Amino acid sequence: MQFSRKHLGIPYAVFLLVFVAAPLLFLCYYAFTNGQGQFTLRNLSGFFTDPNTLGTLFYSLLVAVVTTVVCLLLAYPVAYILAKSRLRSRSVILMLFIMPMWINFSLRVTALKEILTVIEGNLAMFPFLNAIIGMTYDFLPFMILPIYTTISRLDDALREAAMDLGADSVQTFLRITLPLSVPGIISGISMVFLPAMTNYVILDMLYNSTYIMGSLIGSYFSAYNWNGGSMISLVLLAMICIFTLLTGGGEEETGRGGALL
Amino acid sequence: MFKKVPKRAKIPLFLTAVLSAAFVGTGVLSCPADCAVVLPARTAGAAVVSAGSAGASGVQERIPAAAGNTAEPASDEKTGEAVIEDKTEDQAEEAGDESRAGSAAAGQSEGTIRLRVSNWEEYIDLGDWDEEETIELPSGDIIGENSMVRDFEDWYFETYGRRVKVEYSTFGTNEDLYNMLTLGDEYDLVCPSEYMIMKLMAEDRLVPLSEEFFDTSLEYNYYSRGVSPFIRRMFEEKEIDGEPWKKYAAGYMWGVTGIVYNPEDVTYEQCSTWKILGDPAFRHRVTIKDNVRDSYFAAVGAVKSDLLTSEEFINSPDYALRLEEEMNDTSPEMIARVQEYLKDVKDNVYSFETDSGKADMITGKVALNYQWSGDAVYTLDQADEDDFTLEFAVPMESTNIYFDGWVMLQCGINGDPDRQHAAEAFINFLSRPDNVIRNMYYIGYTSVLSGGEDPRILEYAQYNYEAEDDEEETAEYDLGYFFAEEGSGDEDYVLTVPSEQLHRQLSGAYPSEDVIRRSSIMTYFNEEQNAAINQMWINVRCLDIREFPAAGWLVLAAAAGAVIWLFVRPWIKNKAG
Repeated sequence: MQFSRKHLGIPYAVFLLVFVAAPLLFLCYYAFTNGQGQFTLRNLSGFFTDPNTLGTLFYSLLVAVVTTVVCLLLAYPVAYILAKSRLRSRSVILMLFIMPMWINFSLRVTALKEILTVIEGNLAMFPFLNAIIGMTYDFLPFMILPIYTTISRLDDALREAAMDLGADSVQTFLRITLPLSVPGIISGISMVFLPAMTNYVILDMLYNSTYIMGSLIGSYFSAYNWNGGSMISLVLLAMICIFTLLTGGGEEETGRGGALL
Repeated sequence: MFKKVPKRAKIPLFLTAVLSAAFVGTGVLSCPADCAVVLPARTAGAAVVSAGSAGASGVQERIPAAAGNTAEPASDEKTGEAVIEDKTEDQAEEAGDESRAGSAAAGQSEGTIRLRVSNWEEYIDLGDWDEEETIELPSGDIIGENSMVRDFEDWYFETYGRRVKVEYSTFGTNEDLYNMLTLGDEYDLVCPSEYMIMKLMAEDRLVPLSEEFFDTSLEYNYYSRGVSPFIRRMFEEKEIDGEPWKKYAAGYMWGVTGIVYNPEDVTYEQCSTWKILGDPAFRHRVTIKDNVRDSYFAAVGAVKSDLLTSEEFINSPDYALRLEEEMNDTSPEMIARVQEYLKDVKDNVYSFETDSGKADMITGKVALNYQWSGDAVYTLDQADEDDFTLEFAVPMESTNIYFDGWVMLQCGINGDPDRQHAAEAFINFLSRPDNVIRNMYYIGYTSVLSGGEDPRILEYAQYNYEAEDDEEETAEYDLGYFFAEEGSGDEDYVLTVPSEQLHRQLSGAYPSEDVIRRSSIMTYFNEEQNAAINQMWINVRCLDIREFPAAGWLVLAAAAGAVIWLFVRPWIKNKAG
């Protein structure tokens, strides 16, 4: 058989098949069967009638939303200032922001635990706040990077044109820079929001004893209820798909139109 | 149940302490190992969704399990972390050579036996001790040079003239093990906890131990010759579907549940009840186990405290039986009361933990820690190294006596007599007194073996706990219940120990007779009970949507509004335009 460039993709295709497609099929199988392997929709209806799963879903959403907003508020000014600075050391400063990502995740959260213990006295006092701080601490670089990249690629001519036409710097920012950086914001949001919904390890390590989606799924599996656990995973997956479709559509829009805000 | 960080984890522990101290400027100690361990324990299914998240490092290990990996050779590698690191190729080659030579010489070797063993993480001696770790007993020195598994392979060849290759893997929780079996992983010999053994027995998935295994006249039957009479009786008396445990299971390690506490904050008397877990006086200074069984047991003890500690109940003729019934009460009313109690506890405790409680206890973050006795001993040892004194107490209501034991699985043994022979030999090898001591030293738990005629295990207890000659306050501590044959009335098993040991390591390693009297087995629950209790646990841990805070709704509504305005509005505009 003739070697062609297409064949380079085979390893990845195999990887995808074995580790993504096959597990997904199993997930669907378990989600729509009961313990005896018969088809059922009870897992699905159970999800939407159980006050606990719904409560957990909204709690996870809340954690994710607050984390995303906090990350955005922290990251945007930093990314903006960095992108606009003419410092030769710009890349060094950027590296400083990214550097925490090089340290092992669990080590970082362990250190954070100690820092918070010193500040708060007792970690158990503010479990929700701790969860937000932990998530923000962990995901902030994922928000800074895309926004920074988008802003630094903006054509300065656009800004200068606005200034020439009489806009002051606030107006220029609101009407030119901010709308044009929306694609970066959106990819930042999806990189923070989605993992923040399920990353229960941070909550566990910071001793937030209320379950979020990830831990709820885990508890179903350790109770041998694979069917219920698979259904929760599947619903979560569906939600993530919808979210991605929504933001993906938006990105297209902003990419073309720009000044939507 | 989670097993402890081993003694050998001291160095990483210390490193983290330095790191944390560098970050914070205080001499604190915490354990990164525990988070790494916590990861795989919980979520098999979540891995499918969240493998991309930052926690993936630990979760990824479980993906094959979640994905329904049934390919046998691969599963062995993926589901467990192989511990035998020094099993090199030349060893395997040597094995091949030997078998060829063996068949020529003895004519009895038909190739290498493959034995698949799965055990708890950090639950066997890996060898490589320092010279100064040598345990010097009157009957000889004991030191772990090689890993136990490797020693077994050599011993088996020397003893029976056949090569055996142990494929050793580990699991994180009983539920993980059960899920792996359900997915089709095959093991010959596994070491789950008592309730999982009961479950496997009830499901008829085990191979009974051979008659030969119980023949105490054979020299190599170290288990039958050395198991503690106390444990032997228990294994004979307890039954599942009319069959005694001993038919299928050989014990490994055992212990009770209790409370590790800081004597500067809490007194021994205060810890004498499970109610302390929900006591507002220790708000946010208590940790409780993050699994439903242990939490349920403690909560039942707290809820029924008055009954369980009443004179009338304790002195009733069928106390042991009634106690076990009360502690395994899964009536709907009881579950409802436990749920209510645990909800209060949830607000009261510092954390639900599987492993981190030890570090939090040692660093003084919490005053009380619901703990298994083996881990309690370890916690006390670690604290001692920092000149920080902790103690151990067992509540008066009852304590959960637990053990882990070796059972052979039908799916693995599959009627192969050679394999079964090797599996039973493995149990026996681990039960040889010197190996028992090596494992006890290495993992910190107490073995079910008392040694029989071999004095070394008792010597090891004396070596650890007996008072020095110049000790001022001493107490008598009777271990007859564990070491002596029934009715022998032997005084030899009374240790003279420093008085403090009554609340220290010794009380965890070998609970006193009083504690044993009020101990209760927690049986396995049937499917219905399991479902009810797990639902209770979810009710405790999840936020009920009816209790969702108004501020939360507000934030979510604002977020939804923003999403609609940002994405849906332009999309509609676009369609319209």
